[in-house]
Amino acid sequence: MLSFIGHRLLVAIPTILLISVLVFFLQKLLPGDPVLALAGEDRNPEILEYLREKYRLNDPLYLQYFHWIGNALRGDLGISLRTQQPVLTLLAQKLPVTLQLATMALIIAVVIGIPAGILSAYHKGTWIDWLANVVALSGLSVPNFWLGIMMILLVSVKLGWLPASGYQPFSEDPLQSIRTMLMPAFVLGTGLAATLMRHTRSAMLGVLQSDYVRTARAKGLSEKVVVIRHALRNALVPVVTVITLLFGELLAGAVLTEQIFTIPGFGKLVVDAVFNRDYAVVQGIVLCTAIAFVLMNILSDALYRVLNPKMSDR
Amino acid sequence: MNTPLLDVRGLSIRIAGTPRDLVEDVSFTLSAGETLCVVGESGCGKSLTALALMGLLASPPLKVTGGTATLDGQDLLTLPRDQLQSLRGRRMAMIFQEPMTSLNPALRIGDQIAETVQRHQGVSAKEARARALEMLKRVRIPAPESRLDAYPHNLSGGMRQRVMIAMGLANDPALLLADEPTTALDVTIQAQILDLMRSLQSESGSAMILITHDLGVVAEMADKVAVMYAGRIVEMGPAAQIFEDPQHPYTIGLMSSMPALGERTERLVTIPGVVPQANHMPAGCRFAERCPFADATCMKTPPMQDVSTNHHVACWHAPLEAQTEVRASA
Repeated sequence: MLSFIGHRLLVAIPTILLISVLVFFLQKLLPGDPVLALAGEDRNPEILEYLREKYRLNDPLYLQYFHWIGNALRGDLGISLRTQQPVLTLLAQKLPVTLQLATMALIIAVVIGIPAGILSAYHKGTWIDWLANVVALSGLSVPNFWLGIMMILLVSVKLGWLPASGYQPFSEDPLQSIRTMLMPAFVLGTGLAATLMRHTRSAMLGVLQSDYVRTARAKGLSEKVVVIRHALRNALVPVVTVITLLFGELLAGAVLTEQIFTIPGFGKLVVDAVFNRDYAVVQGIVLCTAIAFVLMNILSDALYRVLNPKMSDR
Repeated sequence: MNTPLLDVRGLSIRIAGTPRDLVEDVSFTLSAGETLCVVGESGCGKSLTALALMGLLASPPLKVTGGTATLDGQDLLTLPRDQLQSLRGRRMAMIFQEPMTSLNPALRIGDQIAETVQRHQGVSAKEARARALEMLKRVRIPAPESRLDAYPHNLSGGMRQRVMIAMGLANDPALLLADEPTTALDVTIQAQILDLMRSLQSESGSAMILITHDLGVVAEMADKVAVMYAGRIVEMGPAAQIFEDPQHPYTIGLMSSMPALGERTERLVTIPGVVPQANHMPAGCRFAERCPFADATCMKTPPMQDVSTNHHVACWHAPLEAQTEVRASA
């Protein structure tokens, strides 16, 4: 297993380098001049030229890239044009926020999506299946921003149960931190729960028809044991892949949800950076989430092997 | 005469919403230690009958529409689910046709056997594991200690079927249902598995219903034979009598389509026509379309008649006299 992960990490290096090339050059294609954004009202050509020199914007593109990737490999992702803070520091500040939001959203998605998928597969064609599908479909179709606003209106404004916005670091006050994150995590989680429910349902439908589930029943096991121990265990193999990929997606930041609940995570950081043409920050975030995605892919393959004994022998 | 272990009367099964039964009026009895072979072509309702006894019919769409099946004085067909669950795996067990897919790929062999022991005997995990090991030894799996922690994909088809047998017999069931247990296996392995089943059965004294389409298997294993055609039992009797003196035209056809060793004479005899489809079951005798003796009386369903005390046949024309002629004309 360790050698498998090691091998996959090695193979991931060219992938990440390729991503870095794409990130760097695609961004240069964007219209707009970062120096103009930085200089603000003051369009003095000398100052503009000074800024261009300072940020090496006059160098040929490939030199700019090598300079950037060289620094990045040493852990230096550059300085934010806007705030003059190192990009790595900015990322390090936002990462726990996004990580917490992603984790909570995923927990909510799993807690709702997987049992709903099991129930609807087990009771296929009955009103339970129908209800689960309707709820899942609405979970997929209702836009996050609308659900977010509605929840703020209901839960915060009308009922006053949870804070409408803001962020409390988990390390300072865990309970309050969870309370502030609960609504955004719920908004994100319900959308993902629908996806998980659909995947769980179709995997379970296949497994419940299988010969070994019939064998389990022939042994006189209770339906609970048949479904959880014999069916779910096998049905989870494809679902776990989906879960890890969803987590990778969540790490890229939930732009709209973070805006609505004013949560200072990756999503908000990337929006601010794009509007301000803060290249270094955008590059840093995209590179960072791309790496997270690659890692999640490796994790997904590793879990697949753990859950599927057939694979772990190889 | 003792009360039989299993008494099936008038068992009928159909697909919900269809006009005719797939399995119709199936009756037989089985005593402890006896082996009944149910023979017939694929789709004749052999497996459905066994699954119905185990309460494992895919329902919906399949449902039992009539009959009783008494085991230990309890009707399996009307038993509440929890009571049926406590019988399954303990008093009756089933071995399936496909050893490759009938074991859970994600669970270790030992755990899959121990699970049924723990469920029914209420013993500790350690004792259940010891019993699993004992069962692996009894079904003669080499290196049983190391196999306990193996996964199904580590084993060959024959070994997996041994595991299935070990699992089925782990709680010493009174009745073992085996649905084509050797069909998916190589011929040499088939003989080994049949040997094993026979010796385990004589050790434990359990009764067995062996479903097969292989007359070689029947000759090897059966005390009693039930021949099924298109959902009905058309002939039933002691194995020796069925082989020596088959009465139903279908049984006669089956017997003559079995190749025998010796001088090669004519081409193998086949029964003309095909088995009727489930949704086009003919009225009356279901074999009439393919039967050389069929006449107007065959438009009515033939009742079971006695040929001798234990030998019964459902044919208007039984007992047939000149069987040699039948063989020639078939």
